[in-house]
Amino acid sequence: MILHALPSLATAGGDGYQTPTTADFYQPLWNDGPFAITRPAVVLMLSVGLLAWWLIVSTRQAAIVPGKRQWVTEGLYGFIRNGVARDIIGTKDFLRFVPLLFSMFMLILVNNLFGVIPPVQYPTMSRIGIPIALTLVVYVVYHYIGIKRVGLGAYFKNLVPAGLPGWIFLPILLLEIITFFITRPLTLALRLFGNMFAGHLLLLVFITGGEYMLLHGSFGLKLAGVGAYAMAFLLTIFEILIEFLQAWVFTLLAATYIAGSLADEH
Amino acid sequence: MTGNIAILGYGLSTLGPGIGIGLIFAAYLNGVARQPEARGMLQSIAILGFALTEALAIFGLLLAFIL
Amino acid sequence: MNEPGQLPKPSAGPPDPDAGHARLEEAHMWNVVSYLISGPVMCGGLGWILDRWWGIRFFVPAGILAGMFMSLYLVWFRYVKQQTPEETL
Repeated sequence: MILHALPSLATAGGDGYQTPTTADFYQPLWNDGPFAITRPAVVLMLSVGLLAWWLIVSTRQAAIVPGKRQWVTEGLYGFIRNGVARDIIGTKDFLRFVPLLFSMFMLILVNNLFGVIPPVQYPTMSRIGIPIALTLVVYVVYHYIGIKRVGLGAYFKNLVPAGLPGWIFLPILLLEIITFFITRPLTLALRLFGNMFAGHLLLLVFITGGEYMLLHGSFGLKLAGVGAYAMAFLLTIFEILIEFLQAWVFTLLAATYIAGSLADEH
Repeated sequence: MTGNIAILGYGLSTLGPGIGIGLIFAAYLNGVARQPEARGMLQSIAILGFALTEALAIFGLLLAFIL
Repeated sequence: MNEPGQLPKPSAGPPDPDAGHARLEEAHMWNVVSYLISGPVMCGGLGWILDRWWGIRFFVPAGILAGMFMSLYLVWFRYVKQQTPEETL
């Protein structure tokens, strides 16, 4: 409902300015329709190749005293391994999940940063399918761990906290099931998608609006166009911060859900 | 201008919970800074306050979608 | 957390609902938001189904309110009541 209203938000000043819409995000390169090869698909494949190349090159001939590339990779790896995985999952069995968390963090970070790097400038996470795919991976992992640990029946029984008054047990169980199986992965995907989509749309509004005002406006609007470009610059810096943050939060919550499945008392 | 006035309503309704949650966590930070041992007790109160305030924001979001 | 001088944890009591999360309370926040969203959505959805079945328009807002109450009760039960009698991590 909201997304239908977006294209009709025509600006009051100047006909001929098209506000950026959700249709601007669909950029097919070959074939149209459901099997199109779109630009985000190509960018995603490019990012995977780039990431694989960087990680292999920077850790080849790993030395005790690291060179510059190795230091960068080690810094990022240590950040996820210590700061996220070890602190949340615990020191006992966090090593199994570090590859998953590190890969997801680097993938999301690189793809987010593509939103502001000039030749690409398309945050691939702003198409909802990609965060959903990442969330599905986490989903399968944490349910599989939980069920393998305590068995299927006990897994469901452990969802409800102990000590509830008896009559409210069934609605709370239903609520917990819906939260655990539907809402948590949905919020995980939607948080990443929403931040990237809204951030990119905001940047588009300021940049295209600034360009329109500079080229087609009266003198006062030209000054406002310069202001719009300055705002776009500030927002780009803010967007970089948000991109780091969203990659980190996604990895953090994935680690939290995994830790919740591994917890002994559950 | 055409559009959906429910979205305007939702935008207005995020003012209150935004300020409220900021105040709650400001108080939590102050309390933990003054006495770090009180962290556990303050945490449960902070979560309760956060949930109650966030409930209003969720109401606004849901009703903007539904109505 | 076994620093010298700290009181030993009480032995009985309900288990910490998010045990295994070493220090990050932001995780609690997002879990709370998940509960708060899914409660009204679930009960509102049930109310919408009942509305379609019976043809009145009353159950959707009632469902949303009931769901919100249920969610708040569950959040209180999980995160507040279980942590006040004992020291948390």
